Amino acid sequence: MKILFLLLFSFNSLAQNSTTLPQEKELDVVDFQNVKDVLKKDGLMQEVQKKKKEVLKIKEIRSDEEKKLYNWPTDNEFWPIATEYWLVKQAPTLMWDFDRPDYGLTQSFASILKTVGYIQKRFRLLAIDSPSPAHLSLPWTSDELCLVFSVPFARSMDLSKLEISLLLLEDVLRMEEGWLKDFATPANLKDLLGSNFKDKKPDLTPIFEVSKGYTKFIQEKGFSFQQQFTITKKMSAILKPHPELWNAYVRLLGKIDRLVKGNQVFSSYVKLYPSPEMQIRWLAPEEKIL
Amino acid sequence: MKALWLFLLLSINVGAEVKAVGVFYFNPFLGHVHQSPARRSPSLTTIQCGHPLKVIEDPNVTVSDEWSYVSVADWKGFVWKKHLTTKRPDCFQSRYPKFYDALSLDLAELFYWGRLHDHWEEGVAKP
Repeated sequence: MKILFLLLFSFNSLAQNSTTLPQEKELDVVDFQNVKDVLKKDGLMQEVQKKKKEVLKIKEIRSDEEKKLYNWPTDNEFWPIATEYWLVKQAPTLMWDFDRPDYGLTQSFASILKTVGYIQKRFRLLAIDSPSPAHLSLPWTSDELCLVFSVPFARSMDLSKLEISLLLLEDVLRMEEGWLKDFATPANLKDLLGSNFKDKKPDLTPIFEVSKGYTKFIQEKGFSFQQQFTITKKMSAILKPHPELWNAYVRLLGKIDRLVKGNQVFSSYVKLYPSPEMQIRWLAPEEKIL
Repeated sequence: MKALWLFLLLSINVGAEVKAVGVFYFNPFLGHVHQSPARRSPSLTTIQCGHPLKVIEDPNVTVSDEWSYVSVADWKGFVWKKHLTTKRPDCFQSRYPKFYDALSLDLAELFYWGRLHDHWEEGVAKP
């Protein structure tokens, strides 16, 4: 019996010396290296990495989408909004919300555009009940025109659809030159268009400045003589192959000249479009000096 | 005999039901559901781009080719046909929501902006 005890004791002490401590065993259980090895063997680490990447990607997409909500419109999308904003603000003075018959001007203007080569050009017209501006092209998108015409102005001269369309064609040429748009564009607008204002206070002053610019141009600045000369010459060149249109244009300028000289209501016309009298002279054939 | 015809006519009218044509979406930036099919008719409600509208056919309501009879919320009114699309449009408001919010349009501006889209005459120089 004593021998058996001794043997057991010696085995126990041997075992205690050779094997690890219980604490060490516990450490073994939570040995991350071991866990990692097991996970590696099972391919779970790759799965975790894959999931992490997916989560990161989704977060990035969401963040990009959220950022996009704070975008400034692009140039093409800004101008229709700015123009409509001005028209809405000017509704009481321009008086476009009025009853009117269908003048059939859309077809007539489309026909003129087609005749002079503006094929597939889209446009939108707005009739106003105010005498001023008599007619005007406003900045819009690159592939569409936005035009305004005064019904009292057209009515006072009993203008035909063709004559109104010719006036609007003048405005198309003016818009192509970009004079009104350039005048109304605030200095900082180009930097803002298409930019992002996340984490910033949105600065909408440019849209208000554009509105002020339109009003100032129409009421104070107007087109210069040089600009009018350029447009008249361009109109002449465009209409020369169509004598009936060219003659109608000259007659129209004569009508306007008589109106602005004789009717006080339309005397401000020359402030915006100087001067019908000069336009007629510029269209006259040059006298040859022998 | 006259009474019989009258009864028959009335019964036909009563039997005729309002039919749903389908759901369409409002396309312009802002607009109106009108009380009658006319450009300047009073507005029942102002709606914005992307608003779904149920186009309906009512045998008691005559509509020209240019207008659609629609049901929206509690209203039944008229919208320009050219302002409706079958697919949800890509609206300015949804592309630039924060910019649109920052405009802070008041009720009068929303109303006039909608009116403006009733007045535009659109065209294209077709070849």
